[in-house]
Amino acid sequence: MLSRYILRRVLIGIVQLLGLTVAVFFLIRLLPADPVSRLVGMNASAEAYAQAEAQLGLNRPVPEQLAIYLGLRPDIGPGLLQGSLGTSWVTGSTVGAEIRAYLPVTLELITLGFLVAFAVAVPVGMLSALRPGGRADKGVFVYSLFAGSQPEFWWGLLFVYVFYFQLGWAPPPLGRLGPMTAPPPPVSGFMLIDTLIAGQPGKFVEALHHLMLPVAVLAFVLSGPIIKMVRQNMARALQSDFVLYANAAGLPRGRVAAYALRAAMAPSITLIGILYGFMLSGAVLVETVFSLGGIGQYAVRSVLAFDYPAIQGVVLVITAISLLVYLALDLIHAAIDPRVSH
Amino acid sequence: MTAAADPLAPPRRRPDWLLRTGAGIVAVVCVLAVIGPSIGPYDPTLTTPRVAVPPPPAAEIPGLVAGLLAGTLPHPPHWMGTDASGYDVFSRVIAAPRTDLVIALLANGLSLAIGVFLGLIAGYFRNWGTELLMRVSDVMQSFPVFISAMVLVALAGRSTANIIIALAFVYTPIYVRLTRAEVLSQKARGFVEAARAMGRRELSIALTHVLPNSLAPALIQSSVTIGFAILLTAGLSFVGAGVRPPTPEWGLMISTGANQIILGEWWPSVFPGIAISLTVFGFAVLGNALERRHEGG
Repeated sequence: MLSRYILRRVLIGIVQLLGLTVAVFFLIRLLPADPVSRLVGMNASAEAYAQAEAQLGLNRPVPEQLAIYLGLRPDIGPGLLQGSLGTSWVTGSTVGAEIRAYLPVTLELITLGFLVAFAVAVPVGMLSALRPGGRADKGVFVYSLFAGSQPEFWWGLLFVYVFYFQLGWAPPPLGRLGPMTAPPPPVSGFMLIDTLIAGQPGKFVEALHHLMLPVAVLAFVLSGPIIKMVRQNMARALQSDFVLYANAAGLPRGRVAAYALRAAMAPSITLIGILYGFMLSGAVLVETVFSLGGIGQYAVRSVLAFDYPAIQGVVLVITAISLLVYLALDLIHAAIDPRVSH
Repeated sequence: MTAAADPLAPPRRRPDWLLRTGAGIVAVVCVLAVIGPSIGPYDPTLTTPRVAVPPPPAAEIPGLVAGLLAGTLPHPPHWMGTDASGYDVFSRVIAAPRTDLVIALLANGLSLAIGVFLGLIAGYFRNWGTELLMRVSDVMQSFPVFISAMVLVALAGRSTANIIIALAFVYTPIYVRLTRAEVLSQKARGFVEAARAMGRRELSIALTHVLPNSLAPALIQSSVTIGFAILLTAGLSFVGAGVRPPTPEWGLMISTGANQIILGEWWPSVFPGIAISLTVFGFAVLGNALERRHEGG
């Protein structure tokens, strides 16, 4: 029953990804951009232009290009079916390898951002729901509206100004480690994990220090919608009959609140999945401010350079991850709230 | 449990000052979108010879105002300083709503019109065509928003029109979905059946009876979308895929000031940032108030 559900979701996801890939493929080729002249320069001779065009495969008809990309023409080169995302037109390395190098930073950043946002938002939202209409509730309400509507890149710059330039508490916003620090040998790609594997706690702390401000910025903007959601779901849970019963039975207030919290978390999970998927590309601005070199910055670089295979790869990978996160969270949701699976 | 007896419902009287603040901010931004570019002391698209001038300290402001009124100043004061190229920050901050708000309003209007129309069709007439429409809308909605907007603008050319089209593209599926859901619940109501019994054509029922009753969710969403469209426009400029300099645009101004902020020159980025922050907050407050009013009856 459960495995059939997962299988169905995965199949739907694959169809969706295929639709997305085809849509993006035609879309970027419909737009009036000229990647060939971007690559060979404006003053290239007609022969050089034609040669580059042939090398990129852009001289073939678009449906044939799509077939090659999807891997339906293994005689010409590997494609998606063979597990290849193609080769970057700018760097010449495979898109898969590049994404593997850029993605962990983003995952580290947004996962930590979510954890911090949660640690703040759940108690705040809960307390605000326990005393609705009070002074604290009103304050929290204004805060969550405000935090949820902020330009995060500007807050990043502001934090840099205050905590780096004025106070000197944070390192300069120039990457994951200081310029003199050799990165640990890449095993997982996650800097925080690799420094521990290499047994270098000093570098672990340094990496954490460099993530401090970007995580704070993300946690700030994420806390708005999360507080709002926790407050709403908590208020709804507190109105339900089981809370009425628990109160009537004379259970201590804290215990009742804990029961209500569990019921409130289940519906919150869907929104978290959507936010997480959104942040995969939404973190791009924070990555840019702090030069972290994440998947978002890779996307910006690829888009500005008209690097079509890289653009395709980024969109595909980000969407695939979001769909997996949705699936995982739906399974957790079903585990917390058994009514969902029926 | 009735709403009146419900101890946990949101308080009935939301802080009124909040709504007034939001509406006030939105009104100011709208006025600036009309007159902003012409009331600044300097031309927002021309540099001055004075580069990286900090804003005047608070103590000097009364003297500057007096001097300005008496006409004894060599040039109008740079209330928010000048940036590294010599642009007057104040003139550009108040000129930018014309860029930002016009992009956001037009993008929202376009996606609202297309999305509501498609949502009405998809909800009212259910056949394989509208099923296909919903699947396409699903795929569009699974695009990563920021990246698809960036791809569209960068590849189509960095012009205002292209930004508007790109934003409309990413926001349309939301309206399709919202409107379709509302149409589905409205068309089961008695007034539709009554109209049908009176011999009205289906298309005319959909347009004159179902459509007006299904607009509310999309209109409420508009305020939120306009705010997010301003953020997205600014974000696109920040990564170099938005409007071209020297167009006065808040995100572009923050971006040009970003390199100086590490060196302590905060003013070229901070003032436009405050403007975005307040503007989007204003639209969020307004949207929230509309939502509450709608839910309240």
